[in-house]
Amino acid sequence: MRKINLIIYIVLLLLVPILSYGQIEGEVLKPEGGKFLLTGATVVTVTNGVLEATDVLISEGKIQQIGKNLSASEATVVDCNGHFIYPGMIDSGTRMGLVEVGSLAETQDYAEIGNVTPNMQALTAINPNSVVIPVTRVSGVTTTLSVPAGGLFPGTSALINLNGYTPDQMFAGFKGVPMNFPTLARRGRWDRRSDEDIEKDAKKAMKNIDELWEKASTYMKLEDAEAELTYYPEMEQLAKVVRGELALMVEVNKAEDIKNAIKWIKEKEVQKAILTGVSEGYRVAKEIAESGLPVITGPVLAIPSRDSDRYDAAYSNAGKMQKAGVKVALRTNEAENVRNLPFNAGFAAAYGLGKEEALKAVTIVPAEIFGVDDKLGSIEEGKNATLFIADGDPFETKTQIKHVFIDGYKIPMTSRHIRLYQEFLERNPGLEK
Amino acid sequence: MPKNKSFVSLWLDLNILSTHNFMIKRQNTLKLLMVWFCLLLGQTVYSQSDYTGNKRVTGTYAITNATIITSPGKTISNGTIIIKDGLFAKISTSAQLPVDAQIIPGDSLIIYPGFIDALGEQGVASPEEAKRPKDMDPSNPPNHVAGITPELEVLDYWNIEGNGVEAWRKNGFTISQVAPKGLMLPGKTALVVLGDEKSSNYLSTASGLYAQFKTPRGLYPGTTLGLMAKWRELYKNAVLKQEHEKMFVAQGNGLARPQNDPSLAAFYPVIDQEIPVIFQAKDELEIRRALKLQNELGFRLVLTGVEDGSSLVEDIKAAGASVILSLDLPDPKASKVEFDEATEEAKKAQQRVVEAYNNALMQAAHFEKAGIPFAFSTQDAKSGEFMKHLSLMMENGLSEEAALAALTINAAEILGIAQYTGSIAEGNLANLVITTDKLGDEKAKVKYVFADGYLFEYEGEKPKVDMSKAKELVGTWNYESETPGGTSKGTVKYEINAGELQGEIVVDDPDGSGQITRKLKDINYDGKELSFNFSVMAQGNKLIVYAKGTVMDDKFEGTLSIKDMGKYSLTATKVPEFKL
Amino acid sequence: MKKFNYILLCVLLLVANGLTAQTPKGSVLIKNATVLTVTQGTLEETDVLVQDGLIKKIGKDLSAPKNVESIDATGKFLMPGIIDAHSHLALDVVNEATAPITAQVSMADVINPFDVGIYRALAGGTTIAHGLHGSANAIGGQSITMKYRYGTHDPEDIIMKEAPRTIKFALGENPTRVHGRGKNLQPRTRMGVEAVIRNGFAEAIQYKKQWETYNASKDKKNNTITPPEYNLKLETLADILDGEIIIHCHSYRADEIYMLINVCRDFGVDKLVFTHVNEGFKVAPELAKYTMGASVFSDWWAYKFEVYYSTAYNAAILMENDVITSINSDSGELIRHLYHEAAKTQRYGGLTDEQALSLITINPAKQLGIDDLVGSIEEGKQADLVIFDNHPLSVYAIPQMTFVDGVKYFDINDDEDDQRLKVSPTQMVEPVYLQAEDERCMHGVELFTEEAANFTHTH
Repeated sequence: MRKINLIIYIVLLLLVPILSYGQIEGEVLKPEGGKFLLTGATVVTVTNGVLEATDVLISEGKIQQIGKNLSASEATVVDCNGHFIYPGMIDSGTRMGLVEVGSLAETQDYAEIGNVTPNMQALTAINPNSVVIPVTRVSGVTTTLSVPAGGLFPGTSALINLNGYTPDQMFAGFKGVPMNFPTLARRGRWDRRSDEDIEKDAKKAMKNIDELWEKASTYMKLEDAEAELTYYPEMEQLAKVVRGELALMVEVNKAEDIKNAIKWIKEKEVQKAILTGVSEGYRVAKEIAESGLPVITGPVLAIPSRDSDRYDAAYSNAGKMQKAGVKVALRTNEAENVRNLPFNAGFAAAYGLGKEEALKAVTIVPAEIFGVDDKLGSIEEGKNATLFIADGDPFETKTQIKHVFIDGYKIPMTSRHIRLYQEFLERNPGLEK
Repeated sequence: MPKNKSFVSLWLDLNILSTHNFMIKRQNTLKLLMVWFCLLLGQTVYSQSDYTGNKRVTGTYAITNATIITSPGKTISNGTIIIKDGLFAKISTSAQLPVDAQIIPGDSLIIYPGFIDALGEQGVASPEEAKRPKDMDPSNPPNHVAGITPELEVLDYWNIEGNGVEAWRKNGFTISQVAPKGLMLPGKTALVVLGDEKSSNYLSTASGLYAQFKTPRGLYPGTTLGLMAKWRELYKNAVLKQEHEKMFVAQGNGLARPQNDPSLAAFYPVIDQEIPVIFQAKDELEIRRALKLQNELGFRLVLTGVEDGSSLVEDIKAAGASVILSLDLPDPKASKVEFDEATEEAKKAQQRVVEAYNNALMQAAHFEKAGIPFAFSTQDAKSGEFMKHLSLMMENGLSEEAALAALTINAAEILGIAQYTGSIAEGNLANLVITTDKLGDEKAKVKYVFADGYLFEYEGEKPKVDMSKAKELVGTWNYESETPGGTSKGTVKYEINAGELQGEIVVDDPDGSGQITRKLKDINYDGKELSFNFSVMAQGNKLIVYAKGTVMDDKFEGTLSIKDMGKYSLTATKVPEFKL
Repeated sequence: MKKFNYILLCVLLLVANGLTAQTPKGSVLIKNATVLTVTQGTLEETDVLVQDGLIKKIGKDLSAPKNVESIDATGKFLMPGIIDAHSHLALDVVNEATAPITAQVSMADVINPFDVGIYRALAGGTTIAHGLHGSANAIGGQSITMKYRYGTHDPEDIIMKEAPRTIKFALGENPTRVHGRGKNLQPRTRMGVEAVIRNGFAEAIQYKKQWETYNASKDKKNNTITPPEYNLKLETLADILDGEIIIHCHSYRADEIYMLINVCRDFGVDKLVFTHVNEGFKVAPELAKYTMGASVFSDWWAYKFEVYYSTAYNAAILMENDVITSINSDSGELIRHLYHEAAKTQRYGGLTDEQALSLITINPAKQLGIDDLVGSIEEGKQADLVIFDNHPLSVYAIPQMTFVDGVKYFDINDDEDDQRLKVSPTQMVEPVYLQAEDERCMHGVELFTEEAANFTHTH
């Protein structure tokens, strides 16, 4: 029997008591709370080095203790001998929970009508029961930023953990307002605008953004002066960005646009700004580093943006920026295949970022960028027990993820993909009935 | 072509084809010419009054004392050409001038054989767009809806007074192979002489089967994929149908009657190698695709509109295909972009654009070097840029002889009309172009054109405008001029119309109060130096006012002058355009 | 630069062979590599000698003949060139979406050798790709197997001449959307797709018979049978029935896969490969018994409804059920790291190294009918080879050199930035694309379906 099969078998055995409650046939696997003692693991803390043969005690959703030979009588013991514990991976830009089937408009909840809709809350539309969520979390990706898409200000993104029955149970403590910075790039091969039109459109959009920012600033000033304002939810939300309560996530990719965006951010004295996308960041890495702005980049597995670019432009982008001194987190920009985050990190590692920095780029760096590094991003006492156990390097393709914990809940290692495997590996009846 | 008499009469009995079309198709070039000469003679015999006053007084001309390039590389100095009844009657250094000849002094002028446009669209109107039948199956549309009308004859859509004829004749073009407009198989090309509007002007009604890589939207064949397959299918079915018809003629009894299919029948002269397929193939891949079809099906091939064929000279040679290069050259804008603060990377990329641009200019020279005779096509080219493009190609390696050959004798050979045109020789059609300077010389201007023995006269001193720079002028300018009579103010407006820089000036009316608007004439502009003139009436005298000066960004500084009356300062500023 | 290498080689060959058109063949000795033969296990510290484009010898301590370059691959991994059984790269047109059957069209007519994607694929170890017609039609066009000899301007040089003919079929959502819902023509349902294909095959039989009758009597005296109409579409379908063309069928759902298996069985067609085939795992025993296998994605799913019930374990289930299985790209992006896509079967299903590597080498070769020539490192086979610094199934593996017919087309140590073969003389500023779009199955059908333009994946 193959390895995975075996794991599932063991998991099933562990869950036998639960199964017996069922009145109809078929197993139901639920996340399990409580106290867990993970024993004998190699703990990759990310922030405090690698600890060999170490135990981790999980209680009340937190990492309560890290040390050798811990004991806790009432805790469920999870033998991690020969395995590795990592903090849960964070994907810093996805459509997680906002779409179920890519091409079906009825299931697309990431793009609202309107050019200025910062008040649209991604957290509201996240479907906690999306089939995609279990498929993703069994890969060790525990936390994702779900980002709306569309006009200049498409909405408000939300950081979520991939476990919970309501959006609030999933919310991981960060919201940000994405802004699509006016671009001189083409949106795709189908974009047949002339160079002149592209420039004109970008100028128009820039003017529009300047005006909106001005309005939001006015709104904020009047609000601070306790003026009675008429209902204007868009400005109310943007005012929070101006005030610095919410981060502005500036989506920008082309080298020239990046420089303009940095200038704009300086000019407008944006309090909290994050650059996202940044696919040509390597061309202006020095300028980004000097600006001190953090960057969320990806997907790493992407075609270069220009025909004349080196074939590995996207693979090596994160590494080049990081070496220039930019704080870099990674994203997949995916929905159903967010599970490829570790492979994106692996490619970035191979093409210049290095394994250690690549690991940080999917753990502690995004936690810091999102201001949740007190809870997430490393294995430290007091932080949330959001972590996973693997039999090797989680970026390596063949590595198996053994267990996943999110906020102290032990996640069932199953998903529709795994269940289909279980049913069809040896179909019955086979060829003949 | 069916040659069997009984077969023809049978067809007529069946009334499958209209008699008229059928007869015309049977004419070959020579017969047509005979008919045409008869008509010409008839005209001279039965002359009559012309109350429009347009008719010429004589059809006999003598051009004296000119430098005559009779064909590439062959020059007669101080020669005289006598033209009579549409033909070159005499070419020599000591000819007796006929008494009925109109004499044109050719001193310091150069005479070339009339240029031949090996494929063009001047004078050709688009056929009406085919109506899509209701409930049509887009996977199997009727041929004419799918852009397959090889039976169409371009002359039905051609008019000597149509668009572009005069513009190209002005450049020295006297014969054109005109192509029908349409999609994949628009119809048959025809040879026309750009002569007098009253003449019939055609030399051949069906000189080639015209083909393009163009397909209809949303109907089969909707892409190059479908086009290639459809080509093969049409051709093979034409072969089969022809076979069927031959069987029917030979044997008749017991055989199914052949159904008429004009599209397939249009392929017969191609299959019989009587006429070539003239394939518009601009870039490398299109050329290769046309060669591929030729290789599979075995027709005679003429490639036309070639813009990027340099790397294919060997393949073209091996295929025995004829080549018509495009007179359209790429816009130099991109190759001339200057990056002040460009990165090394951007400079390298720009260098490649420049290389690509230079390669395009060198294409003709490449073909010359490879020893492939070629002609030129005016299709998609701008008539106003002909001389400039020609000199660009010559600056990039094309020899004067090869350039002239491409415009004259090579074209005539490719079109199969070298026996009566393409060079200046006694008995040939009286087609020629008379210029002020040598071909390729930037100063060269066309002064006269003879087409079909008819004289067309042009102003030799054509103003010159660098059209790539002319755009900078477009708009309204406020000017001021200091004259003895005080400061004069007004506006000048420039616009580009049909590829030409035009303008008008608002000036104080010398004869009264108020202002008048005058059209600018002879505008010269090279990106820096600007000159023009305009005329005003002052007390019954026509005064020509000359303006001359320098343009720097949005400022103009120069002078106004009127002959014998002095010079005054002139300054102008461009009114900023309001842009979003 | 690679293109100069190519031109140089061409010139040399022209001198050597006169004017016979031939693609370049190279000679090289690769020393001391870990050789992943795929069919004959892993050979440590082994040399591979390539002469005139073929693998001449595999062994230890081989010495290079005169004038043959020797490459030290100590500590490196050598594997067969990667073969992609489903790509739309280097094609000017993907879909002739105007009819439900377009068997008459041929992708060989629209090869674009200037696509820089070819170089990028080579830099990812891919040496052969099957260029398919799109999936708009129930029976699409004839596909073309290409060898990525980048640098040539001649599409013919890219074609793998030895490869058998192949054709694209497509079931399910795409043909029913394009024709049924887009144009109100059959097929609008999966019932209609079956009928369209059966109709096509049945007409082809009639057509073939007509021609046989004509050909038999045409040279006889007083023959009264006139030539039938030539129909390239039916001609091609008849060739399928005669077993001359391998079908590669775009499919997703188990029911439609089963349908085509039955249709083909009814018409005696056994050269059948399913591609994408996301629900192939549900009919794995049938695929194993009646077809030349399945060419799948490593993990794509949920981009449209018919792939909502799929699993990343598909390839593993198929392999374990003895279906000839390959992993393809259908994408200008994935084609650059098929070695990584194959490795995903180790995460999702625990396949062995050899099983995983066969998914992108010998198995696709079998599905394209070229497994006697390529797809493994064996003496006598064509020398399409890739050198990796790490084991190719590692996420950290980086291809170092890629050879086609013994000619090196990619070398990481000698890799210029700008690899475009052709540049437009009128391009003011090189465009930058925010979403560098993949070459894809439904390319060019936007005309018929408004929603197509909004798709991220439309495979």
